[in-house]
Amino acid sequence: MKKKIAIMLVLCLSLGVFMMGCGNSEPEPNDVKEPVVEDTSWLDIKEKGYFVMGLDDAFPPMGYREQGTDDIIGFDIDLANAVAKEMGVEVKFQPVIWDTIIEELNGKNIDLIWNGLTITDVRKKAMAFTDPYIEDKQLIVIQPSSDIADKTDLAGKIIGIQAGSSAIEAVERDAKTYESIGELVEFGSNDEALLDLTTGRVDAVVVDEVVGRYYKGKKPDDYKIIADHFGTEEFGVGLRLEDKAFLAELQKALKAVKADGTASEISIKWFGVDITK
Amino acid sequence: MEYVLILMPSMLKGTSVTLQLFFLTLIITLPLGVILALARLTKFKPLNLFMQLYVWVFRGTPLLLQLFFVYFGLGILGLKIDRFSAAVLAFVLNYAAYYAEIFRAGIQSIDRGQYEAADVLGLTRVQTMTKIVLPQVFRRVLPPVSNEVINLIKDTALVYAIGMSELLRVAKTAAVRDFSFIPFLVAAVFYLAMTGVVQQFFKWLEAKTNFYR
Repeated sequence: MKKKIAIMLVLCLSLGVFMMGCGNSEPEPNDVKEPVVEDTSWLDIKEKGYFVMGLDDAFPPMGYREQGTDDIIGFDIDLANAVAKEMGVEVKFQPVIWDTIIEELNGKNIDLIWNGLTITDVRKKAMAFTDPYIEDKQLIVIQPSSDIADKTDLAGKIIGIQAGSSAIEAVERDAKTYESIGELVEFGSNDEALLDLTTGRVDAVVVDEVVGRYYKGKKPDDYKIIADHFGTEEFGVGLRLEDKAFLAELQKALKAVKADGTASEISIKWFGVDITK
Repeated sequence: MEYVLILMPSMLKGTSVTLQLFFLTLIITLPLGVILALARLTKFKPLNLFMQLYVWVFRGTPLLLQLFFVYFGLGILGLKIDRFSAAVLAFVLNYAAYYAEIFRAGIQSIDRGQYEAADVLGLTRVQTMTKIVLPQVFRRVLPPVSNEVINLIKDTALVYAIGMSELLRVAKTAAVRDFSFIPFLVAAVFYLAMTGVVQQFFKWLEAKTNFYR
């Protein structure tokens, strides 16, 4: 009797493993074919009628949840909708977290990343970018009472920065300043870094212009933005490296939206000025 | 206060994700834990060893890592499952390992003499298990099980990592947007309410099942 139960259990467990094995093997024929067939990325999306846009939904003002309604709104959302309309498809928004955007993209959970994504050489190796659509700076935010006037004053100071952000690369590129600063503290998100600035545990925060201005607008008395900065950067849309056809279509639509003034309108709505490129 | 009311709809939506994951995991895991504990106690060596390996792997690695493996790892292998199913699968695999150990300890705590007595009375092995041993085990494991159930509520916060908007993530998105700490306070109250209910439920259940004393 005991043995019978044991054998039954083994059977159940191995059946489970076997079924998982089956699940694995099913999509394989497609996988094998993929390199041979042509790039169907755009056809697939046209057929589906939508593309899935991955974004961190805690990244105001580019993409975030509207107070009360909980809808995803932001500059990137409006621009993506305009571009998709131009392409004759719709957008589905999928919140992801910043740390795993590459896995989400390559795992085909999302078709693109559109989330104030700075074009960098490192990222270009992992994904394909559209032409830039926004140009912004890496700002230095300080406490109003602070006497930091430019980058040389950062020597020996503690600087807060968002982990995995392009702001880190920007600071590192500026070798002279990078070597002089006391410590670079990485936070989970920009708002945490800025919150720590108000407590004085960090002396300055390096952050994207669009984000920095958003928070400066929220708490004008708590922050000061100095004129000196860590260079300009460009935002682009990130796609899978192999989705060349989709990239070309997206590029065309993005260009059209920029040319007919829609992009500028959206920029003025969110930032008060036209910072599109 | 007005701000808290504005937060409510999204917080409740996040709570519903949290609760769905919680109940589904619990409903699957508790019976599975019993089966796995019995498998662990069998004298059939390969099964016994497999169970030890299973417990080692799923109790011995962070749940966050397991979430990544189930969601992204299986995806790479071609087995694509949606976020919610991936979360449930990872939670079930992880929590079943803990429950299996709790139930094993419970079963082993029953005196050998009871098996012998049941044997003398002519009960089969299955009858002994279901009618004599497991009811006592159920009572004995209640305190450690309630520990794990409360842990489960709190662990659901991890699924933000695979892009799910559960309670804590919703609080985070609101905190980032409004640059305020209040959403976190509201989330804390929500968690306390949920764990409070679970705590009271187990207290009641322990009193109710106090039939051997």
